[in-house]
Amino acid sequence: MSDQTDLLQGTLDLLIMRTIAPEPLHGWAIAQRIQQVSDELLRVQQGSLYPALHRLEHQGWIAAEWGASDNNRRARFYSLTRAGRRQLSTEVSKWERLSAGVNLVLRRT
Amino acid sequence: MRFWHVAVAWLRSVFLRSRREAELGEELRFHIEQETERLVAGGVEPHQARLHARRTFGSVEAVKEESRDARGTTFVDHLARDTRHAARRLRRDWRFTTAAVLILGLGIGVNAAIFSVINAVLFRPQAVVNPETLVDIYQNAPGGAPMGNSYAAYLDMAAYTDIFAGSTVTFIPHPVTYSDGGPLRQAIAENTSASYLTVLGLRPALGRWFTEAEDAMNAPPVVVLGYRAWTTRFASDPAVIGRIIRIDGIPVTVVGVAPANHAASMNFGAHSDFWMPLKTLVNFGAPAQMLARDISEPAFMVKARLRPGVTVAQAQAAMTALGSRLAREYPKEDKGAGISVYSARDVRIHPQMDVILAAFATALLALVGLVLAIACSNLATLLLVRGAARVKEVSVRLAVGATRTQLVRHLLTESVLLALAGGAAGCVLAWWTMRSLSTLDLPVVVDFSLDFRVLGFALALSFVTGILFGLAPALHSTRVDLWQTLRDDGEVRVSGRRWFNLKNSLVVFQVAVSVFLLAGTGLALQMLAAGRAQRVGYAVDGVSMIESDARYVVNTAAGQSRLFEQLLTRVKAIPGVQAAVVTRGLPMEVAGLPIAIDGAAGGSPESTGAASIWAGPGFFETLQIPILYGRALDTRDREGAPRAAVVNEGMARRYFGSVNAIGRRFRIEPGGDWMTIVGVARDTWTNDLSDIVDPVPYLFYRPIEQWNVTPSTVIARTTLGAAPLVRAMQIEIREVDERLPILTAKTMVQVLEDSLQAAKGMAAFFTGLGVLGLTLAGIGLYAVIAFAVTRRSREIGIRMALGAGSQQVVWSVARDVAALVAVGTGAGLGLWMIAVLVMKVAPVRTSGVANIQFYQPDVDPLAMLAIAGFTAFVAVAAAYVPARRAARLDPLIALRHD
Repeated sequence: MSDQTDLLQGTLDLLIMRTIAPEPLHGWAIAQRIQQVSDELLRVQQGSLYPALHRLEHQGWIAAEWGASDNNRRARFYSLTRAGRRQLSTEVSKWERLSAGVNLVLRRT
Repeated sequence: MRFWHVAVAWLRSVFLRSRREAELGEELRFHIEQETERLVAGGVEPHQARLHARRTFGSVEAVKEESRDARGTTFVDHLARDTRHAARRLRRDWRFTTAAVLILGLGIGVNAAIFSVINAVLFRPQAVVNPETLVDIYQNAPGGAPMGNSYAAYLDMAAYTDIFAGSTVTFIPHPVTYSDGGPLRQAIAENTSASYLTVLGLRPALGRWFTEAEDAMNAPPVVVLGYRAWTTRFASDPAVIGRIIRIDGIPVTVVGVAPANHAASMNFGAHSDFWMPLKTLVNFGAPAQMLARDISEPAFMVKARLRPGVTVAQAQAAMTALGSRLAREYPKEDKGAGISVYSARDVRIHPQMDVILAAFATALLALVGLVLAIACSNLATLLLVRGAARVKEVSVRLAVGATRTQLVRHLLTESVLLALAGGAAGCVLAWWTMRSLSTLDLPVVVDFSLDFRVLGFALALSFVTGILFGLAPALHSTRVDLWQTLRDDGEVRVSGRRWFNLKNSLVVFQVAVSVFLLAGTGLALQMLAAGRAQRVGYAVDGVSMIESDARYVVNTAAGQSRLFEQLLTRVKAIPGVQAAVVTRGLPMEVAGLPIAIDGAAGGSPESTGAASIWAGPGFFETLQIPILYGRALDTRDREGAPRAAVVNEGMARRYFGSVNAIGRRFRIEPGGDWMTIVGVARDTWTNDLSDIVDPVPYLFYRPIEQWNVTPSTVIARTTLGAAPLVRAMQIEIREVDERLPILTAKTMVQVLEDSLQAAKGMAAFFTGLGVLGLTLAGIGLYAVIAFAVTRRSREIGIRMALGAGSQQVVWSVARDVAALVAVGTGAGLGLWMIAVLVMKVAPVRTSGVANIQFYQPDVDPLAMLAIAGFTAFVAVAAAYVPARRAARLDPLIALRHD
């Protein structure tokens, strides 16, 4: 548990959008997927996940739709909109520049 | 467009709100269940798994709240939440809410009622096709103000067919009686030319308008019913066309019904019941001379339709040319004051009337606006007191993180909600008032129904009120010192103990305005007393009159006179009757006429006018008007005898140089027979008592039998009491002929008293406003004092513990009340004295077209004393309960409290 890292401010949006880029997912699945893919390094606070989802939806970057979950229950699935895809690519490149910069600073000093 | 999108988003968020709320709950529930299942699948016992899932999730409500906030449209959500919150709080404090809604409802109700009257008179549009090409034309009075036209001048105007496509003339609406087989009823009739409806571009609702041929002297009379008269008085019966009804006793054939949306030629909300051809006026007893060029009062209104392409300015130029031509051709009749042309859109009733009415409406609205100001400031006081009492609650909420904006928003929502409720109550009150007004059987039916303007006015008023009286207390009561109020002594300090704080100023304001309004009552009563004290100069006690219309029985003038002779004989035989006379009209009903003096070289144009009244033999004896020189009119002044007249002192002195004017001659213009003065009578009051300022001073009496006039009235004087005489005369008139209608039967005292209606109405209006205002101020005073006592209970407790008697405590409370009321009363009376001074300095105001004569009041010290006394009484009543509570305070409890 202590290996888990709290998310940097602002990165949650990026992670959510990246996670649902291939296929629509519901909230719980998004949290699980992020945890799995990051080898349990990143952990999403539920308290911030849903406000983030609703904010992104309101901004028009993701869209929500009711569908059936794996165990056939009604669940709210989020998918990336076209504007969301554009936003994702800018966010990704922003992040890459940021992390590259941070890495450089860390290594050279 | 942007606004539209925002609005749609709001609406969606309002309607989708509950659904989204449910969906959010479902989404979060799903999450927790998934998590639980995952844990169970991992081997955790289900109950433990559920607990764990919940714990890791954290507060569901907080997540919900944050998710909601993440969406943009929270304004509406906040508003809805605030509104529900406010409604809940208002329901809990139902006493406060009821008081506030009542106060505001009264204030707004009075305003909405007055506004609907003003709306009916000034704002309702007249249905006319293309008003921009319609003009109103007026001959000017000497001095240049637009007046009215003579019929002869109308014919000259109508001849300008290159300017006007059509023109029409109307005679001012006048009261008539009518009978449709049943009892006699009052109605309003208008006379117009045949072209009237065509020129306006309207069509009759039923049947037809009268024709050119029917608008001729001695043509068989026809009538078009007003639409409202048709629906309310003739039950919307289509078969009414062709029916014969009697108007002023004369049989008239109904030929049509006027359009539904056209009430009258003058647009002041009244409805004309009958439309008749112009020249029919003569058939109904008006002198043919009224159609001449020179008349004393130009009573004809002209409307004309401009030809296509012709402007109002061009029409004005043509009429100016006509004006100078008339002045040249008729130097005697036309004084060259010119002719004014107005676009029909700029005139509602008459250019002069419009100005007076607008001034009157403004004054009326200002007065009732004062009551609304009291109501609003009152509510502000209540809210302030309530806000102060709630400071603790506010402090707690501020301490747990509510922002000041949020709190102000809450309080504002509450007051706007209150204002809207008050507005609704006000509308109900106004509607009820208007409904009860319109059920009165007034001779003139004015349409006072509430329409969207009135509702809009009330709504706007309540909103503005809500913001105004909500904002100050909201800002005031949220400005608290957290530290101070949360200290555990429970004592609440809003702002220091400044005497001149907001609450006190509001109370002073309310008292001052109420006192001002009450002083208005004083003025109205003063005018009433002045009217009553008027020496009329003729007998009033023991005098009674009865009015009838013999035209409903016989057609010939001789027959009508004979009926009245019979009635007179019978009345004279009633025991106690000293004298009686047949006449037409009453001593206060005089008509102005242009006259010429024999031997005087023309005289100055304005002054050769005098009022006239009909008098049969015995008139002066019956009314006990002294004859100073010569003789009274008597049986010698019959038809065929030389025309005789009696003049009053004023007329003799003014036109004949001396009071003894016996033997001098004068005549009615233009070109009447010469009348020889046979007597001079003492001056009498020639108007009813409603007019205090300016009686008509020059009067002459004409023998009714020499002028072929139908008599209408018998006046009699008795030694045995006027009221029984009225009843006796009513019996006698039935004895003469059962078909003779009784139009009026009153004692002279009643007649005079009835003429004071307007002054009485004004007194009642002011009294109502003043008492309403003072009641409201009393409530405000009570709230402030009650609050002060609560706030000072600790201090009072200490005083009492230290030995202060209950009297001293009461005095300490009463001192504040006395100070507030004294300052308020002083301010109100001061304001009133200034108003009186202004009225004295400017008795006549000339506002371009209208001369408004004001009654010049005096400052009445007695009335002022009475007002101060009444105010003091209200103050004592308001302060009694809180003061008694203070006096009965138990020092132990007061000191222990909290």
